[in-house]
Amino acid sequence: MVKEIITYPTPLSVKYATDVRVFSDELFALIKDLKDTINENNLDGLAAFQIGSYYNVIVVKDEDGELVEMINPRLIAHSGQLTTKESTAYYPNRTAKITRYENISVIYQDRDAKDCSLKASGSVAIAIQRKIDYTFGATFIHKMSKEVKEAFENRLEYDDEVESADYCPTSFKRDKIVVIMNVIMAFMVLGFIVALFIDDSLLLQNIWKYLLYGSVGVVSLDVVYFFYAQYEGKQQNGCSSCQIGNIIGTALMVLFKLSIVMLLSYFFVY
Amino acid sequence: MARLVVLGGGVAGHTTATFAARWLGSEHEVVVVTPNAKWNWIPSNIWVGVGEMKKEEVTFDLAPVYAKAGITYRQAKAVSINPEGGESSDQPFVTIEYTSADKAGQSETIEYDYLVNATGPKLNFGATPGLGEGSQLGEHTVSVCTSDHAVHAFEKLTEAIEKMKAGTRQKILVGTGHGMCTCQGAAFEYIFNIEHELRKAGVRDMADIKWISNESFLGDFGMGGLHLKVGGFVVSSKLFAESLFAERNVEWIIGAHVSKVEEGKVHYELLDGSTGEEEFDFSMLIPPFAGVGLKAYNKAGEDITDTVFAPNGFMKVDANYNAGAYENWKASDWPKTYQNPTYKNMFAAGIAFAPPHIISKPMSSPNGTPINPTPPRTGMPSGIIGKTVAHSVCALIAKGENAHLHEASMAKMGAACVASAGKGVFTGTAAAMTVYPVVPDFEKYPGTGRDTNYTFGEIGLAGHWIKHILHHLFIYKAKLNPGWTLIPE
Repeated sequence: MVKEIITYPTPLSVKYATDVRVFSDELFALIKDLKDTINENNLDGLAAFQIGSYYNVIVVKDEDGELVEMINPRLIAHSGQLTTKESTAYYPNRTAKITRYENISVIYQDRDAKDCSLKASGSVAIAIQRKIDYTFGATFIHKMSKEVKEAFENRLEYDDEVESADYCPTSFKRDKIVVIMNVIMAFMVLGFIVALFIDDSLLLQNIWKYLLYGSVGVVSLDVVYFFYAQYEGKQQNGCSSCQIGNIIGTALMVLFKLSIVMLLSYFFVY
Repeated sequence: MARLVVLGGGVAGHTTATFAARWLGSEHEVVVVTPNAKWNWIPSNIWVGVGEMKKEEVTFDLAPVYAKAGITYRQAKAVSINPEGGESSDQPFVTIEYTSADKAGQSETIEYDYLVNATGPKLNFGATPGLGEGSQLGEHTVSVCTSDHAVHAFEKLTEAIEKMKAGTRQKILVGTGHGMCTCQGAAFEYIFNIEHELRKAGVRDMADIKWISNESFLGDFGMGGLHLKVGGFVVSSKLFAESLFAERNVEWIIGAHVSKVEEGKVHYELLDGSTGEEEFDFSMLIPPFAGVGLKAYNKAGEDITDTVFAPNGFMKVDANYNAGAYENWKASDWPKTYQNPTYKNMFAAGIAFAPPHIISKPMSSPNGTPINPTPPRTGMPSGIIGKTVAHSVCALIAKGENAHLHEASMAKMGAACVASAGKGVFTGTAAAMTVYPVVPDFEKYPGTGRDTNYTFGEIGLAGHWIKHILHHLFIYKAKLNPGWTLIPE
């Protein structure tokens, strides 16, 4: 029977990796459902979880297009690595570049509970690895680096349909401008504190002058930041942290901090 | 006056003896027979093996502690049990052979009313030709199973680090040295502590570190793996382990039975029947465990070892040893009281009891070689079982043979485990996990067999602090310092 394929955001169940212990009609019916669902949707394979069962069973197409039934599969040997753009039925219309083993050796049981092994390479090896991951509660998201994973999850959250894995970077060149502005303001605060302990009016005037120079520099850099950040943000698609709201907020925050420093300096230094 | 003889002074034996002595008082006698002069907090041996602790920090002399507790201490190894007594008396007895310097080799018999077998395992290095031999401290590989082994392991590791500093690349291989090993956790801790130390020494880029184990998937740990609640999400220990291996750039070979070790090379067979070789410059491989080889004789002097002990040398207890095939295994197969079914005044605790079957899925290669982890019975379960058996023996002594026996089935017992992945006050890491129950109960918890509300884990610096605190706490407890009974097992 063709079953409905479970897709995101249905959460990952807590009941994976339940090794099949009893080889009964229930198991054979599950395998038939997996095959029917694969054929109906023209997929390269399915794990039992994907049609609502938590048994450790996968069915995968081999190089000849034949469906191989694997019960309690384990990946026990590997060699080489391959990075390909993968898609999976759990995340419809999404792809991601995932690095996996190029050659694998898998042991499993067939429907007669007989121990079997299989060596696979390339796309079949990748499909088997992806399906075995499901039996242990993982999707390809678990193969991503922390940064890429966070970006992928953000895209899922905002329902961004961008197909390619064009991830939002975690740092930008514009951040360096913010660092420079913060350093200048830190020196201004230092100047302000020093001024509190000085009685020499000439020295105080000089400090006020440097504070003014500093404030002009910060405002100028803030303007540069505002326009450059927008330019840089347009280079990234589907990236929520590159949006105009963030840029305006950062620019205003700098001006706010600068205003506080200059206001205090006006009363205590000028 | 009754006499309780406890064979073994490890976690289980020490716990049984000290609690029984406290509860029984001076009216009855507790005798401990252990070949060791020192008590060893084994979980910290991995830190001795990387030079982060001295042997003296993980051991202490048993004699003064037992003197304080009023326990009769015999530094000797048990050789045989006569549960029906001998020709001249019906009183059961054990035969011991002294290992202390002053009486080495001398034999003696000790009569008992109750016997607790807590000998721990024999480190069966001989099961794999060439595997590090315990008594001679290393043939081709090293071990961290005892504090002396760990000291030796550190010496060899230091040599490897010196070579790396001199510009020679080193291959490091850590894991299990046989298809039927347990204690993957110790090897897991050791490999990541080595990785941590190499980073500290600035030579990480000069080492290829590889894991080899009999698990069919990373994170099996002899418990069939577990599902951990981490940060609100449930993940398999496989993902947990694979992430750590990838993060630390540690390669792995699993489903492997190490069949032979030569100088700088191991030969192994995989679950798919293929064979391979792996070269190494430094290798720590855990040996398989077996019973210590105790013999048993009936009153007529006939060998009844098969009646008292399972074929692997561990003592038979109230488990179901006829569970049959994997599909028939149940949580109820596991022992509850640890009482020997034939001789009711004998119990086994810790590793010394024969489990009814393994916990992980049984597997073997097409050549028929069994390759699967055997059940862990160390650490917290060992302590809990030891205390439970002490309760039961005290009840039997106080109330007679019909007294209610206390129970501590591993299928109804939770356990906490803290696995170190590097030592350092601010740079340390450890995975802290709790699992409930230790043995999955598929009838009570369909699916994973465990209650995921009580099976959770985290990895981080706090875990390391916990492990370090536990090190001091359990040594404090084992020394019977004030308030020791308040510290849980």
